[in-house]
Amino acid sequence: MSVLPGVVAINTFREAVRDRVLYNLIFFALMMIGAAILVGQISIGIERMVIINLGLSAISIFGIIMAIFIGVGLVYKEMEKRTLYSLLSKPIRRWEFLVGKFGGLLLTLVVNTSLMTLGLAAALYCVTREFERSDATILVAVYFILLELAVVTALALFFSCFTSPMLSTLYTLGIYIAGVFAPGILGISQFTPNRAVAAVTRLVYYVLPNFHDFGVIAAAAHGDALPLALIWHNTLYAALYVVLILVAASAVFSGRNLK
Amino acid sequence: MSRRTQNKSHIRAMLLALLAVPALLVLCAALQVRIDAETRLLDPDKGELLLRSGWLLKKLSLGYEPLVADIYWTRVVQYYGRRARKPGATYESLWPLLDITTTLDPRLLIAYRFGAVFLSERPPVGPGRADLAVDLVKRGIAENPDEWRLYQDLGFLYSIHLKDYQKGAAAYLEGSKNPNAQVWMKVMAARVAETGNSLETSRMIWTEIYATTKDELIRRRAKQHIQSLDAALGLQRLNESSEDYWRKFGRFPTSMQELRDARLVAGTLQDPAGYPYVMGPNGVPQLDPQSTIVLDLDQGPDKLR
Repeated sequence: MSVLPGVVAINTFREAVRDRVLYNLIFFALMMIGAAILVGQISIGIERMVIINLGLSAISIFGIIMAIFIGVGLVYKEMEKRTLYSLLSKPIRRWEFLVGKFGGLLLTLVVNTSLMTLGLAAALYCVTREFERSDATILVAVYFILLELAVVTALALFFSCFTSPMLSTLYTLGIYIAGVFAPGILGISQFTPNRAVAAVTRLVYYVLPNFHDFGVIAAAAHGDALPLALIWHNTLYAALYVVLILVAASAVFSGRNLK
Repeated sequence: MSRRTQNKSHIRAMLLALLAVPALLVLCAALQVRIDAETRLLDPDKGELLLRSGWLLKKLSLGYEPLVADIYWTRVVQYYGRRARKPGATYESLWPLLDITTTLDPRLLIAYRFGAVFLSERPPVGPGRADLAVDLVKRGIAENPDEWRLYQDLGFLYSIHLKDYQKGAAAYLEGSKNPNAQVWMKVMAARVAETGNSLETSRMIWTEIYATTKDELIRRRAKQHIQSLDAALGLQRLNESSEDYWRKFGRFPTSMQELRDARLVAGTLQDPAGYPYVMGPNGVPQLDPQSTIVLDLDQGPDKLR
């Protein structure tokens, strides 16, 4: 395989760093320090839980915001600035360019999420003065957040290939919200007496990326162990979905007339 | 890249996408089925309610309280629907979910009315918390004093579940004072005050609910209660005949045929499910073991003798 996607990925990461994307970490750090100081004053007996819930929720929300808002501009910005034309005149295929862009943003998100996880661990240690064995579930929760971010990034990139950033944001956010409420959609199919509605909602449930299953923040806060099979299946699910979206994005992007 | 080469590569990419995307979707769906099975094993109640404060949720709703209330109401229905009649099911989150829903939208009448029914049903159909149901309806009345139907629900809870016929009658009477209330609210008040502890009164209350509700779930439950009460009334009549038989012959009948031969009953009497009643030991009539009718625990055979 060509090294070109890797080169594009590294450049995308560098560009994100240059754009001061990682500055959100300062806000995250301040929030966690504030929470660590305040949590002891306002919550009795659930300090550990509050820190984990707050930290993981913040990691997820910050990541989603970054994945969507940077992802929707990945291709569009290159076209607007016309840097894409000079890039594609080089021996790089369009799908390689897309894979590189996806990899670059994912790398940015991995770095960002890792640093935030360190911040969360520090805040947790400040509050509880110890780490428990069950805290390993927090790492699984962070890993699931990264899987979720990978799918969201792929979605944003897909829409970025054929529409404006504004619409891409709306579409990606819409699919994300629908995916979070996926069990509710399946619930409709179980409770409606109308067979057609049941069939359609069931189909929608299986076609939509299911973001609900990546949300294990409650389990992490309660220190519940997660089955290994779930970790493996969620990983496979996210990987398949990312490949699916990138294949579709490549098909759309290959047909775009860039002249 | 020449235009021809670009077209070729586009066609290739499209063909690949047409083949790969549906195949990957099928794989994802198959995987989703496995993940669903795994997540079902995890305790579903833990993730059910992270925030239990309706007040806090109201603040977090940023002015979209009615929409969030609607979402919470659908969660109530799904939560209850997933558990009703499931052996060993618990309903810990039912009250908090209803509390949040009605705090977010105090005018969401459906949440008070159906929520009260969900809360008051006995296990395994519900948690059997008629006391909380009364609290919920009272809260609904405080927020919506013009809704006479809430008084009907309050009267129903007191009469059927809590057996407090005085309070039941008072609730019906209070509701009947509303100019929009149906005439039968007054009838109900009088009937509950007079003969609250009778199967006929219970049947009348359930029939009214069956006739007025638009919700299929409640309708189904009301129909089950009516059928159950009809069966209990049938058994009550047969029991009276059985006692008449004892007075006439000095012993209890051993079969329905003996009651028919003594001309104390006519024809084959059936329960609402179509199964003939059978004679049990000591002349106590019973439902056919195959009958689908379930007698209400609080209105069942113990009231017959």
